Amino acid sequence: MGTNLFEKRLLPRRKFLEYGLKSGIAIAVTPPLLTNLFSCSGSAMRVGPGLDMDKATLDRVIAKALSQGGDFADVYLENRNSRQIVMEESSFKSGLYGISQGAGVRVISGDKTGYAYTEEITEENLMRAATIASYVARNGKQIQPVNIETAQRKTFNTVKQPLEAIADSRRIEIMERANQAALDYDPRIRMALIEYNDQVRARVMATSEGVYLRDELPLLFFIVQTMSDDGNNRHMSRERISAHSGFELFEKETPEGVAQRASREAIAMLDAEDAPAGMMDVVMENGWGGVLIHEAVGHPLEADNIAKGIGAFTGKMGQKVATDVFTMVDDGTIPNFRGTIDFDDEGTQAQRNVLIDKGVLKGYMTDILSAKQLDLPRTGNGRRESFRHFPIPRMTNTFIEPGKDLPEDILRDTKKGLYVQSLSGGSVNPVTGVFNFTCREAYLIENGHKTQPVKGATLIGSCMGVISNIDAVGNDLDFGPGICGKGQMAEVTAGQPTVRIRGINVGGSRA
Amino acid sequence: MDYYDLAARLVGRGRRLGADEVEVFIQSSRNLSIRVRNGDIETIQESDSGGVGFRVLVNGSMGFSHSNDFNDRALTDTLQRAIAFAELTTPDENNTLPYDLPYTEVEGLYDPAIAKVAMDKKIDMALELEALAMKDARITHSSGSSFGEGETEVIIANSRGMLKSYKSSACSVGVSIVAEKDDQRHTGWESSVRRYFEDLEPLDKIANSAAKKAWEMLDPQMVRTQRAAVIFDPAVARSLLGGIIAAINGERVLQGASFLQDKMDERFASELLTIIDDGTRPRGLGSKPFDGEGVPVSKRTLVEEGVLRGFLYNTYAANRAGTESTGTHNLYVKAGKHNPQDIIANTNRGILLKGVTGYGINPVNGNYSGGATGFWIENGKIIHPVQGLTIAGSADDILNQIDMMGNDLDMNRSFTSPTFRIREMQIGGA
Repeated sequence: MGTNLFEKRLLPRRKFLEYGLKSGIAIAVTPPLLTNLFSCSGSAMRVGPGLDMDKATLDRVIAKALSQGGDFADVYLENRNSRQIVMEESSFKSGLYGISQGAGVRVISGDKTGYAYTEEITEENLMRAATIASYVARNGKQIQPVNIETAQRKTFNTVKQPLEAIADSRRIEIMERANQAALDYDPRIRMALIEYNDQVRARVMATSEGVYLRDELPLLFFIVQTMSDDGNNRHMSRERISAHSGFELFEKETPEGVAQRASREAIAMLDAEDAPAGMMDVVMENGWGGVLIHEAVGHPLEADNIAKGIGAFTGKMGQKVATDVFTMVDDGTIPNFRGTIDFDDEGTQAQRNVLIDKGVLKGYMTDILSAKQLDLPRTGNGRRESFRHFPIPRMTNTFIEPGKDLPEDILRDTKKGLYVQSLSGGSVNPVTGVFNFTCREAYLIENGHKTQPVKGATLIGSCMGVISNIDAVGNDLDFGPGICGKGQMAEVTAGQPTVRIRGINVGGSRA
Repeated sequence: MDYYDLAARLVGRGRRLGADEVEVFIQSSRNLSIRVRNGDIETIQESDSGGVGFRVLVNGSMGFSHSNDFNDRALTDTLQRAIAFAELTTPDENNTLPYDLPYTEVEGLYDPAIAKVAMDKKIDMALELEALAMKDARITHSSGSSFGEGETEVIIANSRGMLKSYKSSACSVGVSIVAEKDDQRHTGWESSVRRYFEDLEPLDKIANSAAKKAWEMLDPQMVRTQRAAVIFDPAVARSLLGGIIAAINGERVLQGASFLQDKMDERFASELLTIIDDGTRPRGLGSKPFDGEGVPVSKRTLVEEGVLRGFLYNTYAANRAGTESTGTHNLYVKAGKHNPQDIIANTNRGILLKGVTGYGINPVNGNYSGGATGFWIENGKIIHPVQGLTIAGSADDILNQIDMMGNDLDMNRSFTSPTFRIREMQIGGA
């Protein structure tokens, strides 16, 4: 419980295959390493025949699911076609094509959830899943499901060049361009690891409230890691781009640009020395650094742990929890962003949710179950990794709202501390709010200037501590893409302007 | 469905469709997960799942594909996708499939009894475990208790004559709870994971361990930034072991991306460190008869008294390095002679680490930095809990400073290690 790994791992190829297929063994309660490895490998598409199940059949499945009792039931059908191509040492090491489809039936009865899924979508299998899922509702109250009809939802994702229409040779070309740009950047760049992922996820959902929805979400995820080596030091850097978009993403963000940014970091960090240890002020550059807030504040604001009465923000609604300059938002409507899924996997329209407004706690992120338990509105955060999982509250695009400070002023006003240019990732315990992060690229701050690069240090603290110590917020909001793990994976973005946090514990190897 | 037969047929079909070599990997699983909280069921989840993975070689190029649709047409389509993908990848003479080498069955991987235990009994176990963990007055909330089980059958066939399979199972029972005092909250969890139902630990033992982990962390105190001894509890030893395992991955070594790449047969760690790879232990959680390519597992010493003795190779990396695939891997650190209590008693000043966060040793350059929680030791005695500390160093520095190795190796964990002490590390605090 409570570990949210936020790191894209390059899996050994065979491992990927095994996990991609579905790893067999359930491990209770422990931080689920296996599920973390499941990874959002990226994937591409064709709508499978199984998704064409007619509405009358789905109505029968929902009725079956509620036959023992229950407050709510839904059916979720999914087909995902995916591609992953890996280039290492200037060679295309592997290409992986994947098809995954299946359907799950869920029953909610009071605080209980029953869930079962099948990989072969037939009425018979769905009825069997409904019977298994209905087990939890024995002796529950009875409701009459509403017959489903197609519901209207706004979309925020546009596709100009559909992934299905793109020849694989164009994907290869993008990767070759990135590889060349990385190697051309500096002779000390010894190797580039390039991973191209795309997928199209087609989903159909039908609920006992009468909602029927069907759509297709394309997703691109492109990762460049470069390794520098100057004979003394070595550094592996990383740069990623991602969007719910067609292939036109590479016109906005060129593969060369991604590779050059990765290479810049790899070269800069060759000069890194040991980081200092102890409490110090930290300036975090705009962009992916928002993952700190995603973990430290976002996860504790997901309503499932609040409903259980154990989340760090339990009972703090309406209270001042952060400084006046701190406003935090989760917004599932930013066009084509990696965290923008139009409507969540329970059919709730995505929206902009202000979580903390000028330091005051304003909202939790809910799914249908936690909204009911807490008597709160549904916020469009009920997400699932695939049909193999039932939905839980998850973030979408989460960020700190821009403030008024100029980034250069924030740095200049910081006499001594650590300048964090990028983070690898981190995790939080949502009950205690204790978080940790690993720096990917960081520098000492001396007399208001960025000076010596320092090796990957850990930042640790507590969520309440960090938001009450943010005293400067820049006007330069930016975002970065990531994978968020909470027993199941979700594609998200995290963002922030340049911010300063007074007094974080930094784990360096010298005093 | 007879997957054995299907696997053999799909190898033949792949050859007819134009692949030079074909590997078929079929996995079929059944899972059950029960979660209870506050004395009632919270979730029950059940599933049967399966899938086919293909690896094909066409003119020395490799392509992969997988599908969970066993429909005959879908399988042919998926095979064709792999073949089409192979045409895009770079040919490499080291791309080969392994031959079918004889292997020894590993005993005790599959327990047919798990599935026969009644559902109500499993629910009752989770309920009882939660109730036991909540008995202590310091424990105020339950995050839930669970029972999980899974069984998996793996079949591997390839065009070099391989056709074999094995079945494995596992079950687990665990609980997560919260201790509270004033404004403080601490979580504690414990679980028992075993291949056999009858081997699961007694519920009261699991419950007590979870509760203790939560309440013993109440009232932590901060310590100043300093250099001091760091004792790794077995629960956190993996944070050092993981980076070593990644660094002896043969492919990383060949790419020049490992801090151990030039250390073969050299001393890189304290002589108290011996690491063994053994996939053959009966009922072992990491045990299996052969790896994901069908290469038999064995027992090897990878690090012998601080000297690096072996890298880990799959078939491709072994071809590149001119050696044999090693089969992968279930590593553990060999036990030493010290009682964990004696290690604490012999520590003048330092931390007994119970929890670490972060990514462990960076396998590329050996840097290590993480968050730390545990207990502070002065003059051989634990004096108070600590949290919010950091520890950091280089692998070279840390591994050479292992000066006491415990005798408390628990072989029921995977990637397991006894307690060990690092003489001195940088600790970040107030």
